[in-house]
Amino acid sequence: MLVELAADYNILRIDWVKFTFGAIALAVVYFFVARKAVPKVMAVLDERHDAIEGGIERAKRAEAEAEEIRQQYREKLEEAHRESAQELERAKEQRAAIIAEAREEAQAEARRIVEAAHAQIEADRQQAMVQLRGEIGGLSADLAGRIVGETLSDSAVQNRVIDRFLDELEQSQSTQQAEVR
Amino acid sequence: MSADVRILAAEPNCHLFGDNGCGFTPPTIGMFFPEPWFANIPGSAGIDLYLVLLLVAVGAVLLLWSWFSKKLSLVPGRRQSVGEMLVLFIRDQITRPTMGAKGDRFIPFMTGVFTLILAMNFTGLIPGMLPVNSNLAFTAMFAGVIYVMTIVIGIRNQGGWGYFRNQIFPPGMPKAIYILVTPIEILSVFLIRPVTHALRLFATMFAGSLLLAVFAYGGWYMLNLTAEPLLVGVSLLFSGAALFGYLAFFVFEIVIMLVQAFIFTLLASLYINQSLEAAH
Repeated sequence: MLVELAADYNILRIDWVKFTFGAIALAVVYFFVARKAVPKVMAVLDERHDAIEGGIERAKRAEAEAEEIRQQYREKLEEAHRESAQELERAKEQRAAIIAEAREEAQAEARRIVEAAHAQIEADRQQAMVQLRGEIGGLSADLAGRIVGETLSDSAVQNRVIDRFLDELEQSQSTQQAEVR
Repeated sequence: MSADVRILAAEPNCHLFGDNGCGFTPPTIGMFFPEPWFANIPGSAGIDLYLVLLLVAVGAVLLLWSWFSKKLSLVPGRRQSVGEMLVLFIRDQITRPTMGAKGDRFIPFMTGVFTLILAMNFTGLIPGMLPVNSNLAFTAMFAGVIYVMTIVIGIRNQGGWGYFRNQIFPPGMPKAIYILVTPIEILSVFLIRPVTHALRLFATMFAGSLLLAVFAYGGWYMLNLTAEPLLVGVSLLFSGAALFGYLAFFVFEIVIMLVQAFIFTLLASLYINQSLEAAH
């Protein structure tokens, strides 16, 4: 009886009711699983991926920024060093210049003072000489008058005699000076 | 209960070494045609066990995914990790290898198809029940949907004539070869491919549950506790062997169910990829 029945069974027949219900089942699964549940899971997966990727990205950016700041800092430090060295150099130069200038000025001043002193001495000497000449003339005439016993009345003669005497005296004096030098 | 019980009930006392002299009745393909509860539908076997099992499968899939997708967080718990693993499995084993990154938009669909087919296979693991996919109507429905999808996507991506030209005249071949290739391609792409796509899943589920039924029937037939003591021992040995075979093939069947669901989805993905881009 079973074998007879089996002959009627056609396993390759597509039952339209089962086909339809199968399609409905797939549609239901499509709308609830493929349109709702799985996209939700995938969204979380993407979000996590972004979070991890973003974290790594942020860390890299921060590292690069720190490196840049360090570089800038180092450059500034080097520049400051260089500047201070230059400043020092300039200050040294200035100091040397100031010292040299001051020395020069001092030397010039000293020279000027010495020259002024020389001039003064010369002037004094000249003055003394003139004065001495007058006085010595008077004294000499006086002395000569006393020796001769008479007053040289003729003043013109007197002056001539005095002058001659003084010239002789001067000459002897200048030869003496030359010998000293 | 299912078909095997119905057949067993026909001859309840038929056992090895039995005194009523009846022989072993192997399971027939009748087991895939359970008695309908509502048969008055023209052109159909009516509402039967398959539709109940389909309901169970769909319910299981919906429950599973609503469980996987509730209260999702960036730091996943164990439950969420399993759901994510499933999605990543579909992405890394099915859509990415076949379609590349442009196939990522098919991940949800493929995940749904994979889990639904798997659930429809797994109903066969409930003792006395059948895999829903052991009926050709369901696998034909899946293959049909994929078939229509490949054509629609192909026309949308390559243009009406462009798609059919790329399928019938594979580019980069000498013109003379087309005399040979074109009829083969027409046959294979538009006729054989959808049919084998449906038949492969159906046949494996059909054969697998038939095999399990043989072990179950045989074990039940060989178990006779009312015969003479020596014969009871022999019958226990025989049915024990049958039970071992049943359990071994049960595990084997789980693997087959997983593999077939995977293969069906992988092929679907492959076919859709051919519609996305011209054949290489």
